Amino acid sequence: MTLTLRSICLVFALLWIAPASAEPPPEQMILTTTAQGRNIDAAVAALNQAIVNHNYTFVREQAIDSRLVPYAQEVRSVRLVYFCNFAKMNHALKLDPRAAQMLPCRVTLVETPSGVDLIAINPAWVSQNLGNPALHAECKNLKQDYLAILEEASM
Amino acid sequence: MSHAIKFRVLTATLSLMLAGATLAEPLRVSKPVSLRQAVDDLTLAAANQDMVLVKMQPIDSALVKRGFDDPHVRLLFIGSETAVRWAEAAEPRLLNLLPLRLTLIQHDDVVLVLSDDFAAWRREFPEDPANLLLKAWESEIKALFDDFISQ
Repeated sequence: MTLTLRSICLVFALLWIAPASAEPPPEQMILTTTAQGRNIDAAVAALNQAIVNHNYTFVREQAIDSRLVPYAQEVRSVRLVYFCNFAKMNHALKLDPRAAQMLPCRVTLVETPSGVDLIAINPAWVSQNLGNPALHAECKNLKQDYLAILEEASM
Repeated sequence: MSHAIKFRVLTATLSLMLAGATLAEPLRVSKPVSLRQAVDDLTLAAANQDMVLVKMQPIDSALVKRGFDDPHVRLLFIGSETAVRWAEAAEPRLLNLLPLRLTLIQHDDVVLVLSDDFAAWRREFPEDPANLLLKAWESEIKALFDDFISQ
């Protein structure tokens, strides 16, 4: 009995300590940058150009409340831009169909008094909880693409 | 049972428990229908929850059209004006979750429907009102899934 209790304590200790020392730091949830001094139309145009420059395809742009309110009443200060690279999408879905939970790529643009915030959900944050190392590696690459696109769009 | 076997069983059980604690926890439901029927049923279920189908993203046909294999995956984006206004007021970063996404994956004759991982979002937003809003959206999706199954 004593041996069993010691075993339980040992297993708990190993399982709690080992992952903490071996795992990489958790991914941040949000990737964000600010296009200072721009209005939302200029920011969307710059983002679309950056998307193309990084070999992605523009999919669509919409207001945050698109189809939820009449077109004339849509909020103009928050816009969603969707884009994708079909070869990368195909590869990710072959690795794990749950990759669809981060597809297509998306940036949310929010106009503020000083410019436009460009915000994206970090795909590596999504994939770190899916338990598929191959997909997570792919998503870390996708994160780098996001960062490059956001940086270029905000310059 | 010998100590060695007990030890192995214990180790395996604890490993599974700890692994489960960190893995994704999206809501999920499955139904033996075609993708097309699933889209129709989910659209109706969304309407019954006062939500609107904002966009259907046919990833399957988009890839096939470009010469790739059919992944048998579609996305539905659903929303409500109320959700947008609450997010704007409570925590604008939650706008990144809207419109809410449903991922449809067809495997043989069954369609699996997944929500976004609300549990992961709640861990990032542990304080109200954001946490409360996430719980409300999760409840709406649960009700939508119940409706979808009952059709």
